[in-house]
Amino acid sequence: MEKNEILKIVNDIFVDVLDNENIKLTDETTASDVEEWDSLNHIQLVVAVEKKFKIRFKSDEIRSWQNIGQMVSSIQTKL
Amino acid sequence: MSFYTIPFILFFVGFFFVYWFVCNRSLKLQNLLLLAGSYVFYAWFDWRFLFLLMGSTLLTFVLGIGIENAEATGRKKALLATGVLVNVAVLLYFKYTNFFISSFVALLAHFNINPGLHLLDLVLPLGISFYTFRLLSYLYDVKNGKIKPVKDGVVFASYVAFFPSMIAGPIDRTKTLVPQLEKPRVFNYDMASDGMRQILWGLFKKVVVADNCAKIASDVFDNPAFHGPVLIAGAFFFTIQMYADFSGYSDMAIGIAKLLGFNITRNFNYPYFSQNIAEFWRKWHISLTTWLTDYVFTPLSISFRNIGNAGLCIAIVLTFLVSGLWHGANWTFVVWGFLHGCYFIPLILKGKMNKKKEIPADRYMPTFKEFRNILGTFLLVMFTLVIFKAESLAYAGSYFHRLFILQGASPHIMTSKWAVVMLFIVGMFAIEWMNRAKQHPFENLQIRLPRLGRWAVYNAFFILIILYTGQAPQFIYAKF
Repeated sequence: MEKNEILKIVNDIFVDVLDNENIKLTDETTASDVEEWDSLNHIQLVVAVEKKFKIRFKSDEIRSWQNIGQMVSSIQTKL
Repeated sequence: MSFYTIPFILFFVGFFFVYWFVCNRSLKLQNLLLLAGSYVFYAWFDWRFLFLLMGSTLLTFVLGIGIENAEATGRKKALLATGVLVNVAVLLYFKYTNFFISSFVALLAHFNINPGLHLLDLVLPLGISFYTFRLLSYLYDVKNGKIKPVKDGVVFASYVAFFPSMIAGPIDRTKTLVPQLEKPRVFNYDMASDGMRQILWGLFKKVVVADNCAKIASDVFDNPAFHGPVLIAGAFFFTIQMYADFSGYSDMAIGIAKLLGFNITRNFNYPYFSQNIAEFWRKWHISLTTWLTDYVFTPLSISFRNIGNAGLCIAIVLTFLVSGLWHGANWTFVVWGFLHGCYFIPLILKGKMNKKKEIPADRYMPTFKEFRNILGTFLLVMFTLVIFKAESLAYAGSYFHRLFILQGASPHIMTSKWAVVMLFIVGMFAIEWMNRAKQHPFENLQIRLPRLGRWAVYNAFFILIILYTGQAPQFIYAKF
């Protein structure tokens, strides 16, 4: 799958979990750019992504992401 | 050497001039002075523990570079584990040995066994809980590739021992403080005067509000003859004391750092105006909450992510147990932390954890519903603090028990002094409420008020501080 397609699906997941229609993710987006995204629902986003793509991340991997682009790359390597 | 004692003021004035007017030509020299000043400041309390601080700093510094240079992941992990184990072991030894011994003896006593263990004669090294957390987060961040290890030993040691936040935080992260230590600092009048104003506000909260509340709170807590509403008043005054003491200290620390050209982490964001417990913890002791979130809660929630909300609940309760233990080696702190963790459970289950519902800064008053939420959160924090303050769980139990005894008069304790202290409390909250969008109430006062008005404000607070300084020798959090 292309990175753009993955990003689009991830965007839909964020809109759904964070309950905000206006979220527009880019590769550079970080938690501080999205008001509703904080450390507490971060894990709910991760779980939703894992379910949607039917993949499983490693703990170290989840903790190493600095922005959405890195998360998307992680997803891509697993598909 | 507290911030507002004569020795510290003399030390700081001398330091300030050498720092800005003698050492300002060379960054290296300025950092060296900062390190020397921080070590002198630390040695002032107890010079023996300076060597412990230096040893932990050196070990962590070397391990940080080692982790970066290690090729294999296994080796990186081993070096991280070494650093974590040693730093945590030192903390456990000094802070918790006697707690473990006494709990173990008490447990065996239930079975009529006397293991013949005795408590050790240990003194808690100052600031150890705070600087250990700095060292741990540094190692984790280097290992996880979030930061590059610091290559300059003086910069690293100054970061760990940075004297404005040495005794009781804020717990600055490497990425906040180290970049500021690595670039030249130029004296900025606006920043320095803002620092002075923040110190003034912090000083007012500490010596006028907190120390006067402290006297009343300990009078009530220390006397088992009291019962009924007096105990509610005691809990109230202690709740105010905790906030005014610790946030006042933090304001002074941040202000002192500003005088030296540093912006350090904000620690309080008017937590008693919070509408639920999650918001309270986002605004209370922020540097500790974010630390625990990053290094305890997040890894735990990742591990437990398969079991949905239950996983989040377990992660948060465990995080608050760590928070409780961090505060002190006593079951009272453990129970206090456990309860706060439990208070999150309804929010998690209702999915209300992250709903931001800040009251707009330009609104004059809260709505009735907002006020009810603020009051409810405050009371929850207040009654839980009784356990925090009590010397033992049994005493906390007796406090709650006596609280419900309404018959018969309590010994007379209320004096006109209480009314004066109440006036300070109301004044403090009114000023903070009106300025809740600002970092501290006196921020940008130079724009908001003409010179004459400003000086009237400063003088009024100076007079209050001189006239009403209460007596409490040290900051609560310096014990932790």
